[in-house]
Amino acid sequence: MRKAAIVGIGHTVFGNLSDYDLVDVMSFASTNALDDAGIRENRKIIDQVLVANMGGGIINHQTGIASSLVSRIDLEPAMAELVENGPASGASAVKLGYSLIASGMADVVMVTGGELMRAVTGWVATDFVATLLHPEAEYNYGITLPGFGGIFTRMYMERYGLTEEELSLVAVKDHENGSKNPWAHVETICTIEGICNSPDAKVVNNMVADPLRMYHMCPVSDGAATVILCALDSPKMKYFKEKEPILLNGIGSATDTHCLHHRKDPLELTAVRLSAERAYKMAGLKPEDISFAELHDAFIILELAISEEVGFFKRGKAREAIVKGITRINGSLPINTSGGLKAKGHPLGATGVSQIYELVKQLRGEAEKGRQVKNPKHGLSVNFGGFGNNVVTTICSKE
Amino acid sequence: MDIDFSQYEPFKPVVYAVKCPKCGTLDYPAPMICKNCGERRDPSGAIFSAWEKVPLDGKCKLLGWTKLYALPEGIEKKYLLFGVVEFENGLRAIGRLLVEEPKTGMELVSTAGLVREIPGEDVAGFIFDIAG
Repeated sequence: MRKAAIVGIGHTVFGNLSDYDLVDVMSFASTNALDDAGIRENRKIIDQVLVANMGGGIINHQTGIASSLVSRIDLEPAMAELVENGPASGASAVKLGYSLIASGMADVVMVTGGELMRAVTGWVATDFVATLLHPEAEYNYGITLPGFGGIFTRMYMERYGLTEEELSLVAVKDHENGSKNPWAHVETICTIEGICNSPDAKVVNNMVADPLRMYHMCPVSDGAATVILCALDSPKMKYFKEKEPILLNGIGSATDTHCLHHRKDPLELTAVRLSAERAYKMAGLKPEDISFAELHDAFIILELAISEEVGFFKRGKAREAIVKGITRINGSLPINTSGGLKAKGHPLGATGVSQIYELVKQLRGEAEKGRQVKNPKHGLSVNFGGFGNNVVTTICSKE
Repeated sequence: MDIDFSQYEPFKPVVYAVKCPKCGTLDYPAPMICKNCGERRDPSGAIFSAWEKVPLDGKCKLLGWTKLYALPEGIEKKYLLFGVVEFENGLRAIGRLLVEEPKTGMELVSTAGLVREIPGEDVAGFIFDIAG
């Protein structure tokens, strides 16, 4: 199978970009990537554009987004398609981009993920995200994704004895990392005292989906991110001389039941485990080879649960890692160095691409001061669709 | 002239599981293929068999729950409680929880009722409460 490298990356700030047009936001990340790759002049070498987006048609009233992006940044006659896989659209698009290269259908693929969720009220955005649930058995009741996060968190706490303070340490870590990331939606730090133990904590950190509080979940964000892939054996690699190519070393995905109640053990994230196994197998790596990771912490309990499913820690033991600081930036296995979805933000279609952007940034040694992992070799990301019913794991490596 | 009053019958919702005609496996919500034996279900009954509908209600056990304040468009309440339960026949479901201070593992009774009003449509579903 052909191998591919990531040869260019781009990003916008995550936050409230509702004054802008969805495709303009995607265009900004895409042109940043063209510049990063050093191919703005030679941009027509791009064979294929894949756009990851979940809600353009529903909340932004825009369709045909991939064709629109191609035209907005003058990439015709490149092939272009939209990829929708809920909150995992981004990594799915990268996976499909890699597949096109592996099959020989394309040599250079641009993948841009973007979402403009703050164009509508939080009430409408929450409803839009909930449309990925089972219409009859879940959505109809008025339950939303944070509700599933709350049910999952309580089950985890009751089985493994995780406390609210231990859980909140994930938020403290992610905010610390996000405060050093210029693209992050939330750039402020928080403390355990402030969000958990002080008399004001219950007011500052209000309940959203018991036992999950506001600081336990990601914000609603706008934003976009881009990666450009090129086949390592392609003559077009000669155009990418400015930055160190980062190998797209392993990528795997898996699905699980649509309804949470169909899972024998709702705490087992089977699709996470299987997607990671597939990615490890493709890369020829094991969990202990990974230097750092970006894990889909839309609800921070997921950082702990996913870190166990991908084999970093045994079940129920991720709490010890967060307490001991193992997953902090200077720990032995830093997790969510970008701030994660918790602090960096979660523009659905952009998230998976943004996670891979962060892997490349770290592997190149370009992360900002205070959040650069020391000598990383392999980075892993998990992009979690639905409530774990479609998951993509990606591994990037220094060549 | 006789007047047909049937259309004015009160709202009496029932939530159904379905039973595979080949192997008898129960499932909720209705799948298009039996997880156990692969038998196809045809909602119209025109090509393949329409499966028997089995009312799903009665005693159940609370497996997990949340009190949710992040509600979607159209629900004008401060919060709602939701639970995941397991019925005596082994089927599981998510539904509205009326118990204000739930405990995981508690015994509940499920009935069907109005769970959401979407303009032009009354949505029926599971409502879980303490027995009696």
